[in-house]
Amino acid sequence: MKIENFRYDLLPLKDKLFRLALRITLHRQEAEDIVQDTLLKVWSKRHELAHVESLEAYCLTVCRNLALDRIALKDNQAERLEAHENGVCHTPDVAPTADERMEHDERMKWVARLFSQLPEKQRSVMQLRDIEGLTVAQTAAVMHISEADVKTTLCRARQTIREQFKKIENYGL
Amino acid sequence: MDYKYIEQLLERYWNAETSPQEEAMLRLFFAQSELPAHLAPFKALFDYQATQSAVSLGSDFDQRICQQIGEADTEPASGPATVAARPITWSERLRPLFNAAAIVAIIATVGAAAQYSFGGGNEATWDYNTANYVETYDNPQAALDETMEAFKIIGDGLKTATAADDTMSLNAIIKTPIE
Repeated sequence: MKIENFRYDLLPLKDKLFRLALRITLHRQEAEDIVQDTLLKVWSKRHELAHVESLEAYCLTVCRNLALDRIALKDNQAERLEAHENGVCHTPDVAPTADERMEHDERMKWVARLFSQLPEKQRSVMQLRDIEGLTVAQTAAVMHISEADVKTTLCRARQTIREQFKKIENYGL
Repeated sequence: MDYKYIEQLLERYWNAETSPQEEAMLRLFFAQSELPAHLAPFKALFDYQATQSAVSLGSDFDQRICQQIGEADTEPASGPATVAARPITWSERLRPLFNAAAIVAIIATVGAAAQYSFGGGNEATWDYNTANYVETYDNPQAALDETMEAFKIIGDGLKTATAADDTMSLNAIIKTPIE
């Protein structure tokens, strides 16, 4: 894979990288820094990337590794998790709202919280598979894990989400 | 309506057995507003996935990172370099002068119009009432002679014009072989 032009080859990947970084760090500003670092790193190494098959997968891998490094640096991750959840209701509203639209918004926030509470590996797999629409093979390549591992992780994440949905059905939102 | 297919898809989704295409189909299905009661709760999950794929960086990100690239590298990727000095054409150089001329012209026009509308402007009005006409001659015989002279000049003019414009002679000229 050859990188000729920063603007045309690398820059279009920024939003995808940003979404993955945001999914991992749960922090907008940090995710933005990570995207910047990722793009600069890949750009500076552009002459050594002849062996890389998919630039997108390579960038996503670099991005994820940088994001994981950042997470490791911060020992108190729970605090930041809460900071991200500011403004999002912690316990789902028990009383059904009259306005359907608002109820839907509440549910979306609740789903966002569900996603954020998953372990990082499950979160990343969900991000790549369910939001970016990558295949299992592509996801495995990005995360440097086996396809079977991707499937297991994905299955666990979705089962967790399904359990939470069942709870809601039984006890109400 | 039968939702068996969607239910099957959903079951396979939970077990991570669906392909990206099938998941896209699920997202499309749950995007509609009217859903059966037993499937409606999952709308939020698929709607959330759909909205999340549109999350993007701020518009100033491009500029910032390109500046950084520009500093670290001198590749043409950093955009066209800006040069301080640039050639100026004559029309550009004279533009202030044209502007000044245009302003003067506008002031002059507006001024003249104002002067005309406020300071009368009744010099060029025509009086069509013949009763108000005043004679401008003293001797009627001299006036008649002058008038006849004028008619004679016009008559002479008409005569010569007819001669030159005669279509018969024109035809004769055209038919004459050039030798």
